[in-house]
Amino acid sequence: MTDTQILLSIEDLKVYFRGADGRASKAVDGVSYDIRREETVCLVGESGCGKTVSALSVLGLIPQPPGEIVSGRILFDGRDLLPLNDEEMQRIRGNRVAMVFQEPLTSLNPVFKIGEQIAESIRIHRKIDEDSLRQRCIQLLTDVGIPSAEERLNAYPHQLSGGQRQRVMIAMALSCDPELVIADEPTTALDVTVQAQILTLFKVLQRKHNMAVLYITHDLGVVSAVADRVYVMYAGIIVEQGQTIQIFREPQHPYTRGLLASLPTRSKRGQRLYSIAGSVPDPAHKPVGCPFHPRCPHAVPTCHERFPDMCNYGKGHLARCPVLYANRNEAA
Amino acid sequence: MTTSQHSDQIILQVCDLKKHFPVRSGFLQRITGSVKAVNGVGFDIQEGQTLGLVGESGCGKSTVARMIMRLLNPDSGKIIFRGQDIGCLPEKEMKPFRKQMQIIFQDPYGSLNPRMTVGQSIEEGLRISGMSRGLQRSDRLAALLEMVGMAPESSDRYPHEFSGGQRQRIGIARALSVEPDLIICDEPISALDVSIQAQVINLLKDLQDRLGLSYLFISHDLNVVGYLCNQVAVMFQGTIVELAPAEELYANPSHPYTQTLLAAIPDVDLEKTPTSPPIEDNERPAAPLPPGCAFQNQCSKSDEHCRQEEMPMIKVGSDHFVRCWKSE
Repeated sequence: MTDTQILLSIEDLKVYFRGADGRASKAVDGVSYDIRREETVCLVGESGCGKTVSALSVLGLIPQPPGEIVSGRILFDGRDLLPLNDEEMQRIRGNRVAMVFQEPLTSLNPVFKIGEQIAESIRIHRKIDEDSLRQRCIQLLTDVGIPSAEERLNAYPHQLSGGQRQRVMIAMALSCDPELVIADEPTTALDVTVQAQILTLFKVLQRKHNMAVLYITHDLGVVSAVADRVYVMYAGIIVEQGQTIQIFREPQHPYTRGLLASLPTRSKRGQRLYSIAGSVPDPAHKPVGCPFHPRCPHAVPTCHERFPDMCNYGKGHLARCPVLYANRNEAA
Repeated sequence: MTTSQHSDQIILQVCDLKKHFPVRSGFLQRITGSVKAVNGVGFDIQEGQTLGLVGESGCGKSTVARMIMRLLNPDSGKIIFRGQDIGCLPEKEMKPFRKQMQIIFQDPYGSLNPRMTVGQSIEEGLRISGMSRGLQRSDRLAALLEMVGMAPESSDRYPHEFSGGQRQRIGIARALSVEPDLIICDEPISALDVSIQAQVINLLKDLQDRLGLSYLFISHDLNVVGYLCNQVAVMFQGTIVELAPAEELYANPSHPYTQTLLAAIPDVDLEKTPTSPPIEDNERPAAPLPPGCAFQNQCSKSDEHCRQEEMPMIKVGSDHFVRCWKSE
């Protein structure tokens, strides 16, 4: 794609982890996705599907070994990040691309005041005097909706609630005006009312700072609330991609359809829930052919042998299921 | 689904249950205050039905579950199981009731002993209650595993060999082993993958239909509760603020807290117009509760009245109760 609006483009990324027995666990097995400037993209999938690993690769945070980036390119603003050395990567990480992690209690250092932790990343990336640094930290905390920010600079992480800690994490991520924020399950550990506040906060800040946000989540509810576009991952590959409304209204892959049908909602009261049989495959022992075939109600013999191609449903909506694609075309 | 039934069909009645935990501080660890984890909770569960207890973390819902199971002793209040108050029974007299009430925990990893085979874990209850022996017991074990959709051969394997969803099935089989009538499900699906949650929900429903079980279903997920439960009790800071049949609660939420909760659930049908909650941090401090309504600081309707007087549950419809001065 030659789209100047594309900020991050991941091309055929493969990340394997080698176990003690030498067997490769194919955590990410040929994944491609794009994020445009100022866009909100969701990477949705269940635990172990490779969504976090693919995002950590962007920031060069995959421990090698045991991890190994087998192939692929990660183009950020046109430049491949994979060949960069540590120093070059450092200039991008936290500066132009920032990350917000799931568990704000474990990702903040318990023995430093939050003011110092926010200041740290600014000091690394910017030449700035102490006075304006302090002003900047206060401004950041105010921006993320923390009342009496000046006093809060001296608080330790344990003195804050879960929602406040996540706000501090967001303030840290925003400290250097990044172009892209990767948020890995940012609201999973929070209560629903706090989750709603944090998601709205993200939206407001995103507009204000013209950032792109890549959300990684397993929660389709969060996806429906925030995403412009969605990539659905299963067992290390992308099985479906499209605009949010396409994914929710006209899901084309059996896995996406199954996930949506299995969500309990009030409108399904009294009906039996659809459930996807079986469980997520172990990344070290993935089925041959389509990785979803053992759980798929539409599987035909070719699914056991051939890796499925992406089928194009138009307007950027793609799904990796040739069987349903052929059925649909026959019906039409 | 009818929700108003005769009182002789109530399996569990909880009245004004309280549990305050002491707060200790200082060098001598003197008791300097108390956390009112559960502060006057009451509800009824009808035979063969499901009551959902919803609330956010720290609201006291798991403490309620533990008190009903008598894993914690209540400070005051009544727990009436089929007509008998079990709230202060001594441990010995509690034993026959333990067979009738079982609990399924949230974390399928932490709630099974890793050194016991699946069979041993499930049989433990049978052994303690002296329900079956020898060959009869292994038949019963196979039947239990089959009931939760697992192969009988699983009984010789260890918990680490199973996925989260399978372990939750094992936890359910263990609860069923003593043939209980009431099962307390404490967040039974929130640790599971999305595609596995539906399997476990369907299993719980099937078992209810087959065995006539009653459930107390504790969850923070209003979608699941709206799907599964007959009655819903909404809990906030140790008290129940709203109690109603599920359909009524979702159609006419009357307490401002319930309204906030419902507005906060993302809508996967993409039909609800998204509401924008305040982005300001308005989380409650961990400080002691102010007098009056616990929700006053986060409530847009609160006034002087709410800050002074603690309100009782008010009836606003048939079977619909709310603890709010402002509800009409």
